[in-house]
Amino acid sequence: MSYLTDNQNKDYLLMGNEAIARGALEGAVSVASGYPGTPSSEIIEALSSVAKERNLYVEWSINEKVALEVAAAASFAGLRAMCVMKQNGVNVASDFLLHLASSGTRGGMILVACDDPGALSSVNEGESRTFARLVEIPLLEPGDFQEAKDITKWAFELSEEIRNLVMIRSVTRMSHASGNVRYGQLPDTHARANFRFDGPLSDPETGPVVSMIVGASELQHGPQQEKIKKAAEIFEDCPFNTYEGPEKPELLIITSSACNLYTREAISLLDVKDRVGILKLATTWPLPPKLMKRHLSCTDRILVVEEVLPILEENIKILAAEMAHEIGPKTFYGKNAGNIPSIGELNPDIVASALSSILDVRYETGSERFAEEAMLLVETMAPVRGLTMCPGCPHRASLWSIHNALEMDGRKGFVCGDIGCYVAGVFPGGFNTVKTLHSMGSGSGIASGFGKFKQFGMDQPVVAVCGDSTFFHAAMPALANAIHHKSPFTLMILDNRGAAMTGFQPHPGTPVNAMGEETPSLDIAEICRAMGAKVEIRDPFDLEETQQTIHHLIEHQEGTKVLILRQACALSPERKDKPKYKMEVDEEVCLGENCGCNRFCTRIFACPGLLWDEEKGVSKINDIICVGCGVCADICPAGAIKREEVV
Amino acid sequence: MNVLGSNELSENVINRNLCTGCGACIDLCPYFKSYRGKTAMLFSCALPQGRCFAYCPRLEVDLDYLSEKYFERPYNSDPLGFYKSIVTSRAGKKFTGNNFQSGGTVSAIMYFALEKGYVDGAVLTGQESILPIPRIVMNPEDVLSCTLSRYTAAPTLSAVNRAIEEGLSRIGIVSTPCQTLSTAMLRANPLGEKDFTDPVGLVVGIFCTWALDFRVFEPFIASRVDINTITKIDIPPPPAEAMEIYTNNGNKIQIPLEEIRNLVPDTCSYCMDMTSEFSDISVGVLEGDPGKNTLIIRTERGKMIVDEAAREGYLIVDDMPEINLEHLKWAAGNKKKKALLKARKNGMVNNRGKDKISYIRLNNETLEEIIV
Repeated sequence: MSYLTDNQNKDYLLMGNEAIARGALEGAVSVASGYPGTPSSEIIEALSSVAKERNLYVEWSINEKVALEVAAAASFAGLRAMCVMKQNGVNVASDFLLHLASSGTRGGMILVACDDPGALSSVNEGESRTFARLVEIPLLEPGDFQEAKDITKWAFELSEEIRNLVMIRSVTRMSHASGNVRYGQLPDTHARANFRFDGPLSDPETGPVVSMIVGASELQHGPQQEKIKKAAEIFEDCPFNTYEGPEKPELLIITSSACNLYTREAISLLDVKDRVGILKLATTWPLPPKLMKRHLSCTDRILVVEEVLPILEENIKILAAEMAHEIGPKTFYGKNAGNIPSIGELNPDIVASALSSILDVRYETGSERFAEEAMLLVETMAPVRGLTMCPGCPHRASLWSIHNALEMDGRKGFVCGDIGCYVAGVFPGGFNTVKTLHSMGSGSGIASGFGKFKQFGMDQPVVAVCGDSTFFHAAMPALANAIHHKSPFTLMILDNRGAAMTGFQPHPGTPVNAMGEETPSLDIAEICRAMGAKVEIRDPFDLEETQQTIHHLIEHQEGTKVLILRQACALSPERKDKPKYKMEVDEEVCLGENCGCNRFCTRIFACPGLLWDEEKGVSKINDIICVGCGVCADICPAGAIKREEVV
Repeated sequence: MNVLGSNELSENVINRNLCTGCGACIDLCPYFKSYRGKTAMLFSCALPQGRCFAYCPRLEVDLDYLSEKYFERPYNSDPLGFYKSIVTSRAGKKFTGNNFQSGGTVSAIMYFALEKGYVDGAVLTGQESILPIPRIVMNPEDVLSCTLSRYTAAPTLSAVNRAIEEGLSRIGIVSTPCQTLSTAMLRANPLGEKDFTDPVGLVVGIFCTWALDFRVFEPFIASRVDINTITKIDIPPPPAEAMEIYTNNGNKIQIPLEEIRNLVPDTCSYCMDMTSEFSDISVGVLEGDPGKNTLIIRTERGKMIVDEAAREGYLIVDDMPEINLEHLKWAAGNKKKKALLKARKNGMVNNRGKDKISYIRLNNETLEEIIV
């Protein structure tokens, strides 16, 4: 039994993502699907851990679009369904998303999108909120952990009422922080699935489920817009839209999501609760006009507090403009006025600073030299470390061989990368090897293009890298494209046995699914061979053989080739706490800072498991974090790093 | 001597395509690698001074300093450098090799030097297919697998660095002029290392007017003949004007030298030295006689070994015809003049001031004499 399925009416300390999962359970979810991505992954993990107990079907899908399709099928069959992804995943799913919003749903269906303002674990801070407006579906944003649960449950009901998908948007600090959540009742788990299609096309409950009827937008787009209007009506009385503050505040703050928490803290810091009111909105699209009018009428000054783009701010301004003759002119503060930044995460300090200038109150930030002192502490106490991979990471070995082979080849070859731990390949930690980096699988598609420019005089060797999960997610179409068009490049699949970056979620290449059941694992090498690629498989820890193979593959730029560099992630269950070698540095042999070395291991290879001993002027092994992969023994020019097999 | 580090080497030589691929900077450290005839710097070692820079024959070559060290006088304008005598030669009966170039003098001398212990190992150039591979040879018999000319640049000096690392102390080296120059620089202890001893026992320099880039040469040859069938490549002495490719099915393919000259890398046009001037002895073809070599004896040690090899029947020496000597001097002088003019024009000679890196340094008097 998991604490997630306790049926007691008491408080539990839950991570925001767990609260969303619990909300789904209380909301009688039957099917949940998703693709791993920080900060969203724990929702599907939580649900998969109780799948048997709660009679759920949970899967880690091959990518977000398929995940949304799987969940949509559940809805079409009358089940309640939830689909979970990070913001970038919504981009992937967006093609189907538009169609789904158009066809509508049956069983309650929620799309949970977790954004990452500040791009703490992402390559960008894209906005999923814009999709709600783009595809015309309601958007809900929980303002605390209790709401994360309660809104999820409520969203199923809303979805069924309007017969369309509902989007819940969380952010990193909402998904990954924890707070008290009072449980409600768990429902029975006897859902039955049946897809009805015998009725007329026009009947949303019994007819075939199709997206647009060609050339007749009034038949489907019209009704869809009625749904969003209905949502706005429902939102007028949504219990999760709350106001706190004086009846006629000097300043009205409108906010949502984690910004609600920052704002409350900022008001408390400045002690201005008598001067400002907070309208915390859970229903950020479409905005309920009557509710908004009521609150906008109470004051002339409005501050909108939200992260990244001014989406809420702009929607409020549209309403305020339409209502101007009734509510009078307003002064808006927020992003456009420059009070709140349009990039990065917010925090109480940023909000307090904005309030301080708007309300003209003094905001004491502690010692004036605080930033300076903090930086001094960081510099003296924290080790200097660039963005790199973990000790013993197979990607370090792979990128090492790729880098060295390309440099020795000398024709200015380069690597097109994508999303995975190997993004460190852009930086010195990954030897500055990766020269393009965009979305999942994009390195392969970009390489497919680069390979074709020989007619324009381009003769640089082209390499793409992708992970094993990424291969299934998005690189396969790019590889097929390349092979079909005879694009000469080498795709190197860094197969570390699972979606390692997000916590070893299974993918079609692993022999197990999200619910722990055995599944057929798809053989990446055989897939590539069947597509028509020449395929080699190497262990990246064998530096010599790997580099020779890369030399061989890139030498003649003919045809699309695949090199699978297969070695489990250092943190994988397969390798964690199971060092293969005990490593040691022979201090007598280590060349240190002399010509012939100059700290090659700690300065260039720079596995964090290697340390530089300032006093002795030699390198040493950090026994605490070294995982015993043995690779550094092969890069030491003096042979000072010794490995002894652990028996 | 002005010695800087790997960044300056990379910037001034590799990035400017002046690298000859001689291998002097290879196998000293993990930062420089040679692959298919080309030298690459994988990473910057970030040190202000390095052996890579100090040994590079394209950086800070102080001809007066080297001449003083090896010949006890400043560099002069003789097209052939300093020497004691010039003779013709060919392998004698005691040398058992047969598949060699011209008279087989180089192989015979190195064979003899190994057998007599004048050298404790020989750095030679073998091959895999037609790719030259540096080798350290310890037994005289192993010389027989490294007797052929390659006509492509080879990182042979990497094997000298390895041989030193392995503790050899009287290394025999067969080197092209750029490699011979680098070896002379290495032997001068340019970094002033405390317990330095000269690790070289004998330098047999070979004549060279250019060496091709393997990466250009390989596809060029492959388009004319199956590379795996090649047994020997030769350029017979003038008046022949062709490269000859021998194959294992008894064929001989001739490629006009004019076609080959189009492939010569630009770096060779900066080379002032046709005859390996800083060797103990230098060996080349003999014009008009494909079965003999021209042999320049430069040092006492070179003279002693040649004399003894001749006495013991490893080598047959004879007088050099005057007409051949004139032609040799004209060709060598012409190369020297053209190279020095080009280097000077590109600001690579006798630069003064801090941070001014030169390729060549030499006294003004000699410089003027050469470029007249």
